[in-house]
Amino acid sequence: MNRLNLTSLLFGLAFGFLFAAAGFNQYDIVHATLLLEYLDPFFVMGSAVGTAMLTLWLLERRGWRTPLGGRLELRRWPAERKHIYGGIMFGTGWAVTGACPGTVAAMLAAGSALNLVTLVGILVGIALRDIVAQRAQRAAREPGVSSVVASEVG
Amino acid sequence: MLDVLSIPAPWYIIGPLMGLVIAGMYAVSNKHLGVSGSYVQFVDRARGRPMEVWRLWFLAGLMVGAVLVAVLGEAPQFGLRYGRLGEVLPIGALVAVLFLGGMLIGFGARWMGACTSGHGLSGCSTRSRGSFVATVTFFFTAVMVTLLLHWLTGGAL
Repeated sequence: MNRLNLTSLLFGLAFGFLFAAAGFNQYDIVHATLLLEYLDPFFVMGSAVGTAMLTLWLLERRGWRTPLGGRLELRRWPAERKHIYGGIMFGTGWAVTGACPGTVAAMLAAGSALNLVTLVGILVGIALRDIVAQRAQRAAREPGVSSVVASEVG
Repeated sequence: MLDVLSIPAPWYIIGPLMGLVIAGMYAVSNKHLGVSGSYVQFVDRARGRPMEVWRLWFLAGLMVGAVLVAVLGEAPQFGLRYGRLGEVLPIGALVAVLFLGGMLIGFGARWMGACTSGHGLSGCSTRSRGSFVATVTFFFTAVMVTLLLHWLTGGAL
């Protein structure tokens, strides 16, 4: 196992432990949170983001060199429509199942067999979105200029 | 199982530690923590694209961490139980709801490029504008749909 995989395993372990210890992999806790009856998970996320944001800001400002991946480069995405469309779909699925990608894995690990169903649904959903995106790309390329674009994409 | 860990643990311990995990992963390996990216690997593989193997190790670690909590603390949804939703819905309907809900989660996460962790936690931490928009949208939608379900089911859900 190389060093990147090993550190990913360890950070995953810590994340999964904290995640489950916060009760994020329990339907009743997630549901009560989204009903705004139990607010602690909002504080968990808020303080996590606050801590990480401050730490990353300091590291970025100092031009931190990571031991495994070169100079620190924080990933950022401009705001686009897809964030709203995707967010509405995602939020609806989240509300209905009380699950998101992280909780599904953590619920399964905690012995909740029904999450296999949700997991399969997620994989089908990802594949569907992939196919739709590919079709849209192809359609956009088609009218007349296909050869030019194809050579650019290479 | 062993009941040595009380769940949920206090937010002021869990939250900052979680923040350090997100920052730590960036600081050590220059990687953006996110769970849905791990699932994308399986679809990429099935469609003949190369995989990012470290994401699978991350997912494996996440599951081991959750097993540890289930052993030290509790696993209230063991087997076919599914909290209040499992009490309200018969098993057939529950399976259908979980599958369709899963599809919405997968499609939506792939569309916006990440999920609760990749946008909500890590993306907001890097001050990514797209992540702020995504996070506000999915939280707002999830709360609204949950309140609507609560109202429609007369408080059963």
